[in-house]
Amino acid sequence: MDILYLLIPLSLVFVAFIAVVFLWAVRSGQFEDMEGPAHRILLDEDIPPSSEESTQTKKTSDNAH
Amino acid sequence: MEATYNYKVVRQFAIMTVVWGIVGMLVGVILSAQLIWPALTEALGPLAPYLSYGRIRPLHTNAVIFAFGGCALFATSLYIVQRTCQTRLLSDGLASFVFWGWQLVIVLAAVSLPLGVTSGKEYAELEWPIDLLIAVVWVAYAVLFLGTIVIRKTQHIYVANWFFGAFIITIAVLHIVNSAQLPWILGGDASSWWKSYSAYAGVHDAMVQWWYGHNAVGFFLTTAFLGMMYYFVPKQAGRPIFSYRLSIVHFWALNFIYMWAGPHHLLYTALPDWAQSLGMVFSLMLIAPSWGGMMNGIMTLSGAWHKLRTDPILKFLITALSFYGMSTFEGPMMSVKTVNALSHYTEWTVGHVHSGALGWVAMISIGSLYYLIPRLFGREEMWSTRLINVHFWWSTIGVVLYIAALWIAGVAQGLMWRATNADGTLTYSFAQSVNAMYPFYGIRLIGGAMFFAGMLLMAYNVWKTVAAGRAVNDARIPQAVAA
Amino acid sequence: MSAPPDPERCFHCGEPVPTGSHYRIVYQGVAKSACCLGCEAVAQTIIDSGNADYYRLRTDLPKTPEAALEELKNLKLYDLPEVQSSFVRSEGELREASLILEGIVCAACVWLNERHLHQLPGVLSADINFSTRRARVRWDDTRIHLSDILKSIQDIGYLAHPFDPGRQEELFRKERETAIRRLAIAGLGMMQVMMYAVPEYLAGEGEMGMDIEALMRFASLILTTPVVFYSAWPFFQTAWRDLKARRVGMDVPVALGVGAAYVASIYGTFTGSSEVYFDAVVMFVFFLLTGRFLEMSARKSSAEAAETLIKLIPAAARRLPAFPASREEEMVGAVKLAAGDYVLVGPGDSFPADGEVVDGRSSVDESLLTGESMPVIKHPASPVIGGSLNLESPVVVRVDKVGPDTVLSGIVRLLDRALAEKPRLAQIADRVAAWFVLALLLVATLVAGVWYLVEPGRAFWITVSVLVVTCPCALALATPAALTAALGRLTRLGLLSTRGHALETLARATDFVFDKTGTLTTGQFSLLDADIRRGGRAQALALARALEQGATHPVAAALREAAGEEDSAPALMAEQLRYTPGRGIAGEIQGRAYRLGAPEFVGAAPPPARFPPGRTVVGLADDAGVLAWFALGDAPRPQARQLIADLKRLGVRLHLYSGDRAENVRALARELGIEDARGEMLPADKLSAVRALQAGGAIVAMTGDGVNDAPVLAQAQVSIAVDQGAEAAQAAADMVLLSSEIGRLADGVRLARKAQVVIRQNLAWSASYNALAVPAAALGHVTPWMAGIGMSLSSLLVVLNAMRLSRISKP
Repeated sequence: MDILYLLIPLSLVFVAFIAVVFLWAVRSGQFEDMEGPAHRILLDEDIPPSSEESTQTKKTSDNAH
Repeated sequence: MEATYNYKVVRQFAIMTVVWGIVGMLVGVILSAQLIWPALTEALGPLAPYLSYGRIRPLHTNAVIFAFGGCALFATSLYIVQRTCQTRLLSDGLASFVFWGWQLVIVLAAVSLPLGVTSGKEYAELEWPIDLLIAVVWVAYAVLFLGTIVIRKTQHIYVANWFFGAFIITIAVLHIVNSAQLPWILGGDASSWWKSYSAYAGVHDAMVQWWYGHNAVGFFLTTAFLGMMYYFVPKQAGRPIFSYRLSIVHFWALNFIYMWAGPHHLLYTALPDWAQSLGMVFSLMLIAPSWGGMMNGIMTLSGAWHKLRTDPILKFLITALSFYGMSTFEGPMMSVKTVNALSHYTEWTVGHVHSGALGWVAMISIGSLYYLIPRLFGREEMWSTRLINVHFWWSTIGVVLYIAALWIAGVAQGLMWRATNADGTLTYSFAQSVNAMYPFYGIRLIGGAMFFAGMLLMAYNVWKTVAAGRAVNDARIPQAVAA
Repeated sequence: MSAPPDPERCFHCGEPVPTGSHYRIVYQGVAKSACCLGCEAVAQTIIDSGNADYYRLRTDLPKTPEAALEELKNLKLYDLPEVQSSFVRSEGELREASLILEGIVCAACVWLNERHLHQLPGVLSADINFSTRRARVRWDDTRIHLSDILKSIQDIGYLAHPFDPGRQEELFRKERETAIRRLAIAGLGMMQVMMYAVPEYLAGEGEMGMDIEALMRFASLILTTPVVFYSAWPFFQTAWRDLKARRVGMDVPVALGVGAAYVASIYGTFTGSSEVYFDAVVMFVFFLLTGRFLEMSARKSSAEAAETLIKLIPAAARRLPAFPASREEEMVGAVKLAAGDYVLVGPGDSFPADGEVVDGRSSVDESLLTGESMPVIKHPASPVIGGSLNLESPVVVRVDKVGPDTVLSGIVRLLDRALAEKPRLAQIADRVAAWFVLALLLVATLVAGVWYLVEPGRAFWITVSVLVVTCPCALALATPAALTAALGRLTRLGLLSTRGHALETLARATDFVFDKTGTLTTGQFSLLDADIRRGGRAQALALARALEQGATHPVAAALREAAGEEDSAPALMAEQLRYTPGRGIAGEIQGRAYRLGAPEFVGAAPPPARFPPGRTVVGLADDAGVLAWFALGDAPRPQARQLIADLKRLGVRLHLYSGDRAENVRALARELGIEDARGEMLPADKLSAVRALQAGGAIVAMTGDGVNDAPVLAQAQVSIAVDQGAEAAQAAADMVLLSSEIGRLADGVRLARKAQVVIRQNLAWSASYNALAVPAAALGHVTPWMAGIGMSLSSLLVVLNAMRLSRISKP
């Protein structure tokens, strides 16, 4: 089972990698809001707007600029 | 100029998913027919060798996993990462490269495998030149996907992206480690320049191969498709995921435990006994996160079950989750040594794989594509919802026939193999056990053909939808950059 | 029975649209009805800014926006550098602030606010946390000001104010982050070390090569080291602190167990001789941390109550430096106010400090401070509480108390005291735990000694097992975990515990003694009965309100309030008002002369039979004689009857002790159903009556409000002061009811009893667990990793059991 001499150090590297990723996630606040993200994707409207609506939104966005 | 999403690459991959799905499943249907009529393709004369069972069996697995499943994952991951990060892909050029590179890999596989060019490792049959190409394309994909996350406009990274990210990184490592090989050409043998030897020998090779094989299933066919699930189930149901917190726990627990259950593919082999037991223990532990994820997906519908009655896309997604739950229960059970003693090498294993592959992977992909395609082509919904419903029932009945037949076949096979007479001789010859398989092979062919026919319906429906729509190249990114 | 036809609903807020409303919202080309100007304006802003999708996406209806709640001028306050200094971080012209958003009801609100903010030129980023309803906004101060941002949030119907996240919240966030980090390292380490450890358990003797075994041990060592030195570090720190203080806390055996197992496992790794238990170490640490993490979450939700109170004080105030000579205003930070300053508080503003109204009248929402749901009328000389919200019209307030002297700070301090002061039971558990730890260390030594003589090879690991399996965490957590959860729940119910033992005693109380005025009754004048002689009730009340429009005495306030409740009362104007102090008021309305006042003032005698004694009776008369008689008095609180019924059902004895006239007390007692009612009692009488009860073995819970109740509140085993009672009463009481909803008291008793049950369950569990585990471990039947699991599960069980308390929706 010499292969374990490769696999076990490899697993240690993996754990270290996972730990780094997790700690980054904690620091960057990925776990602060445990409700919002679930709702947020629902509010991302991805049905293509019909032509009438799109001109309307275009007009208003012009106003905003 | 207004910022837009890159839908082009998503559209390309989505269409190719349907195309490769039909190709891969057609090969599967031919294979299952060959089991009943072994001389089926003999009539093709000079072509016959290229369509022999041994040659096209890896073609089938590669086509459905990497061509059909792969394209579905590229399409959905590149769509989800853009929408949830609210930014365009890192690079359009890179996206194009990933698409054409991956198609090239598929075409090369479709040519080389029937020619008999294979390294003989399951799910990694392709030879080293193609392996190198895969590695390059995969790294490009990783840069494209992770780079898009880096330039995201939102603070939070949606959980689906975590699943995809883990899948991309792990597959890269798995592929590179398992494909370590020495091409013959380095030894000066230019006659078969594409051939190679594995860098590992004997039981080590088996161990690495099944560490790869297992995790390819784990991360390619489970983690990545869970990413798909965590986006499309809530979107199609119009409800937030049952518990976002649980989805995070699910992510970390599943990925961590999955890594180490690999040895269960090598029960009763030359692998040391303790390593086999280790595989069994962690396979059993896998039930917890798997079922946690399944419940999380299904409970998303709690309070809105009525939607299941009328929405065939949701039916696809939720049925996929049910099959996921079933096969993630069945899998650990089969890794228990005593069960495995009966099931190993029988049709049961094939049935198990297909309850995951057809029931989970294919159905969640099909549901997601039905969601995706109208949006990519400027339509509000597919050309025919009725046709989706028909597709759903054909697929479901097909899968059920398929796995039920093979389950019974597998148990019968296992029992026949181990049956002994009073004097210790075997009761049945091997040929007798093969003969007993005929009726089940027949049912399996019917089930598989139904699933395949469903894909044809889908192709027609997609064709009509695309023809009536127009490619959306300019989906605006909402609230992108404040003016 | 046929339901009445549904009235038309406002498109924006869903409230019924008043008939004849002309407010319209144009949505997707269709005109929809709106109920008020506020809804119309807000909806139009939302639609015009391209966010009409909000109406499709929302799942809950928003509150009706109050039109122009805060004028832009007030919001400009937030642009002042000195005001911003406390909550804005700036890098050059880039500014960042945290905002509390009010009015968020569903995810679509978050979506709308984020989109709306992003559309503002100059806003660089806006992230809203759905769970906490907090927004973090970054903007370029050369292009947009904070006031514009706040204003534009108001435009779409929400309220935003900045807050200083540098206070407790930020600390909690950091603490939680560190805890997650420690937990994650321990969790990762645990899973991976198990991967290496399980093969050893699975492999038969000599089956796995020595080299592989050594490899796995080294890998485990590498992974266990950060778990011991990072994740488990707090245990070592606490243990060291305890030892230095010559105490033995529960972290001492934890540190001993972890440390000993770790060091011995290192020894085993390098010599390859004895067994190693890295898996037990990491598992033990992981489960301990899980328990602590859950406990921390429970604690945080309790402390949040105090946090929300602190955030009520506005950041800035409008000071009137030359009042009363001039009404010239200047903007100052609220922190700069001093006693004696005059400030102008507009409608929709919060009072920046405690003080007294000197000019103007208005109604004030004190609900956040007291739970009192009705607005409170304020007029000159009325006290106002910093943090409460002015609803109607501008008032000038003389600041009396600032900073730590305010009522708000006082409440926060009371809460802190309750959280800090350890309940008696918990103290006992701590003392027991200390003895327990000492005994445990002795037992461990004894076990070590005996096993050393019997079988030296096993002695060490059996001792470690004993240390780990008996870790008194469950015992030490049993009480505090339940108390924290229950206290947090109680505070959310509006019942603030200021002393630790209150909860425990409340659960055991056998006798409830009530004061009458201000406790079971409102303590305020209100219209109890009206005898209408001519015309209608509405007309009479309208006349009375017109006459009393400017008066400040309680009768006037009560009549105005009663008239205000009758929607149909037409608004009238009185002229030529002549006020006769102590008698009544006369004036002309629509040309007719009216008089309102005492019977002799209106020139007639009231009907004696109609009104029971103890009521104040006033008459309303015109030239032709009396129109109506009004009887005013102190009404029972709305929930009093329910409370008494609830308490009776809980099986406690009830007493009503009051200084009021005996007949009034008996009348109220009859009405509510209290048997033991005594009136005309002096504070000393009350005290001796309660002592008498206690002499009979009763555990007395006293509820009162006044200064006169303070001694008896202190005498009772547990005491509850009612909202806005005298400060002396609150100081003497163990609990303070923050709202006028005295029905909460019964909920409190129920919750307190549940908490006692949970505590007893927890203690029983940890005791029986130890009774089983210690002998098993001492006899060598428990390996360290089994010990780790057993100990952890028992602690986890205790914490989870306690957390049931905070989940009870209606105790």
